[in-house]
Amino acid sequence: MAVIVALKNVVKDYPLGATTVRALRKVDLEIDEGEFTVIAGPSGSGKSTLLNLIGCIDVATSGEVNVAGENTATLNDNQLTQLRLRKIGFIFQSFNLIAVLDVFQNIEFPLLLQGRLTTADREARVMDVIEKVGLRPQLHQRPSELSGGQRQRVAIARALVTRPKLVLADEPTANLDSVTGGSIITLMRDLNRADHTTFIFSTHDQRVMEQADRVVNIHDGVVSAQGLGALDPLPGSDGVGGGDLRATMGGAIKGIPG
Amino acid sequence: MSKVLVLAGIAWRNVLAHRVKSAIVGSLLAFGSFLVVTGKTIVDSIEAAMAESITASLAGDIQVYDKNAKDQLALFSFGAGGEDIGEITDFPKLRDALTALPQVKAVVPLGSVNTVVFGRTELDDTLDKLRAANRAGLLEERDQLFAQVLAISAQLQQDQKAAFTIAADKVQAQIDLDGLTRVQTVEFASQFTSDPEGTLDWIDRAIAPLASDGKMMYLRLLGTDMPAFSKDFSRFRIVDGQNIPEGKRGFLIAKYAYERFVKNKVARELDNMKEKRDDDGLTFATDKALHDQAGRCARQYARILFMLSPKDAAELKPLLQAELGVSPASAAPDDQNLGKLLVSFLSVDDTNFDARYVWFYTHIAPRVRLYDVGIGEMMSLRAYTKTGYMRSVNVKVWGTFEFVGLESSQLAGVYNLADLVTFRQLYGKMTESQVAELDGVRKAAAVKEVTRESAEDDLFGGGADALVTESTTTRAFDEFAGVDMTAASRAAADLDDRVYTTADMENGVVLNAAVILHEGASIPEAQRAIEAASLAAGAPVNALDWQTASGIVGQLLLVIKGVLLVAILVIFLVALFIINNSMMMATLERTAEIGTMRAIGAQRREVLALVLLETLVLATVASGLGAMVSVGMLAWLGEVGIRAPSAQMTFIFGGPRLYPAWSMLNVSLGVGSVSIISLFSTFYPAMMAASVQPVVAMNPKE
Repeated sequence: MAVIVALKNVVKDYPLGATTVRALRKVDLEIDEGEFTVIAGPSGSGKSTLLNLIGCIDVATSGEVNVAGENTATLNDNQLTQLRLRKIGFIFQSFNLIAVLDVFQNIEFPLLLQGRLTTADREARVMDVIEKVGLRPQLHQRPSELSGGQRQRVAIARALVTRPKLVLADEPTANLDSVTGGSIITLMRDLNRADHTTFIFSTHDQRVMEQADRVVNIHDGVVSAQGLGALDPLPGSDGVGGGDLRATMGGAIKGIPG
Repeated sequence: MSKVLVLAGIAWRNVLAHRVKSAIVGSLLAFGSFLVVTGKTIVDSIEAAMAESITASLAGDIQVYDKNAKDQLALFSFGAGGEDIGEITDFPKLRDALTALPQVKAVVPLGSVNTVVFGRTELDDTLDKLRAANRAGLLEERDQLFAQVLAISAQLQQDQKAAFTIAADKVQAQIDLDGLTRVQTVEFASQFTSDPEGTLDWIDRAIAPLASDGKMMYLRLLGTDMPAFSKDFSRFRIVDGQNIPEGKRGFLIAKYAYERFVKNKVARELDNMKEKRDDDGLTFATDKALHDQAGRCARQYARILFMLSPKDAAELKPLLQAELGVSPASAAPDDQNLGKLLVSFLSVDDTNFDARYVWFYTHIAPRVRLYDVGIGEMMSLRAYTKTGYMRSVNVKVWGTFEFVGLESSQLAGVYNLADLVTFRQLYGKMTESQVAELDGVRKAAAVKEVTRESAEDDLFGGGADALVTESTTTRAFDEFAGVDMTAASRAAADLDDRVYTTADMENGVVLNAAVILHEGASIPEAQRAIEAASLAAGAPVNALDWQTASGIVGQLLLVIKGVLLVAILVIFLVALFIINNSMMMATLERTAEIGTMRAIGAQRREVLALVLLETLVLATVASGLGAMVSVGMLAWLGEVGIRAPSAQMTFIFGGPRLYPAWSMLNVSLGVGSVSIISLFSTFYPAMMAASVQPVVAMNPKE
């Protein structure tokens, strides 16, 4: 399978007052197309930073980030935006729908930004994903009229409507109750299986990890372990379990499972 | 394209989603647009109305005057006449040079001078009738008229007593008062019976001048080539009488001045009160000034009483008694006194005004002399010449005139028209033929030439006797009032009968000239061409466009424009700050949403466009609404017209009502300027929004 995300020796520093906080310390990571990957770690571990770099909405201080075959360090803001628009779908913890647009329009929005499809094609695409997330009855409702779970379904549909190679989800279930969160995860897993879209999550949610093909643990800016999600019982603890380990560890290696 | 549409759609939804903000900014923008469209349209309409009425009245498109003049020409200025605008000494040369230009249609010579006219008084009239009755041997009528003279001088005596305390020249005032007192004595009455003519002459000399105070009129005279004037100024129209015949001398009084300064005082007051009631909706009960005016009008009853012939007075009394509901047999002295009856008739109020106004014109007006100077009569105009001497010219009043649309304008109404020869005599310059004629007259009468420089020596030095002194001081420079009786009658005959040639009219000084251009000619270009052509012809002039030449009125339009501009700028400045502020707030509020858009693939320029569109959409809708309201209002005003709020304003409105005409150009200007200002004020917030990083879309928790 082709590699869709490849990080080599990635370092990310944030300025904090006069000092600098190092959020990622020489991370190496590869993710295959079609994978359902969880990035797990406690607050402040660097998992969001990692996700931002993969999502091309932030750039690394040093090291190489390759997404969908592009070295993001060589791209300018315009090109990064194009990359996000064409290859990446985003699902946010707070859903981040556009409040003044209804369900259909929210989902259609990325297609309009792409500006490549006719009105009829756009509508077909939008209706297709709406069917998949089961929101046909809510087609013309505003986000404020929807429940949290419905909103996240809209967000998922919006992320998928451009048929991206890669979908990034930042704690997608954190603002949902467990039943709803569960159904959202099941939905994403189904979509992953059906279309072979690559999903990368950051999460604390144990059930998400249970669904994952792979769990990448991160702690203090260092990828500490990778393995099958089901075998990684506690976020922040060393990863257990097998699977095809591909990452070579940079920095302090805390443990290599199985 | 659809991308722009969806961004506009989002922008519009954002506008709707932030109702309060949109309402505040929107109403401000709507008002701004309303102000631009309404203000600009009204200013344009005023300009067009003024252009039409003023250029077609007496300004022409361009006014020319001596290039070396000290002051700038100002046709319509309050209290005009003090300026020194030089002289155009050779008008035919200038006219020929200018009419050779392709743009120029006509050149009309002009020259204005301020004159004083002493109107005929009731006493003058009564004395005339008295003389006629005396000569005809109508003794009864003579005695009735003499009684009227006594009544008038009794009135004058009262006035004089009141004036005495404030008189500067107490000696003269005392002489005048003594004279008036003398008239009331029994001895005076018997003197009249024994020597009527001699007594009347004395009254003419000693008493009649005292009555003339209130009858002094200041008339501004505009000398012109009347045939050319009436042909080239389409707004000129004769109201009463007739135009001055070609080649004849004469005077045309502005209808405005005729009604307001020449008309009988009582009739004038009644007209004025009617105007205030009908046009301004004032009532005697609620408006103190109008109420006071009614009282003033009643106190002027003598202006009617003294004008009535004994016969008319006798006829009027029973009519008045009937109108006032007084029994003809009433024993009360007031009910039998015509003066008292007139006072109570003229004491009008809201209930009886309209009826009495009609009654006045039906029964009283035909019995009195309604105008101090009648159409077809001679009038004596006096003016101070440039060198300071008083000139006097008798001229026939042929009629009254007005400029269509400017009938009620005081500024346009101050100009009275006369031929150029009359103007030159009053101004102090004569044609060459007149100079020659005068020389001939002088030689024939053997009058010694008295120059200004040597006047004192000639008149008072060298033991000149009293008689010579008197005659020369009053007549030294008065070339038409008789040097001897023959010359005087010749001069008078001249005025009536003589026909002047074109050369007589043209050759001589004028002060300025109106240039009328062909339709569509550019005024600034014509100005330059005129100045160049006049310079080449050796008669250099300044050429002012009509607006500048109009003087204070033209400047008033500039002031109106200035005020409008300032108001618009203030509104725009406020809009600038408010829009800037509210869009900054909106951007800050929506940082997460903007970040999300950036994260899911919106370019910076798309975010920039979104914010700009949001303002543009609001600005377009709001300014469109403002412009629509303005157009609706203007369309309505275009139908009914805006009434000139004052007589002065009729001039600026080019008539009693201004009919504004809205145009798409001004609507575009309103919507366009508001939109540009809005975009300008949103530019910084939009830049700020475009610089929002996509990473802010992510939960900032970690």
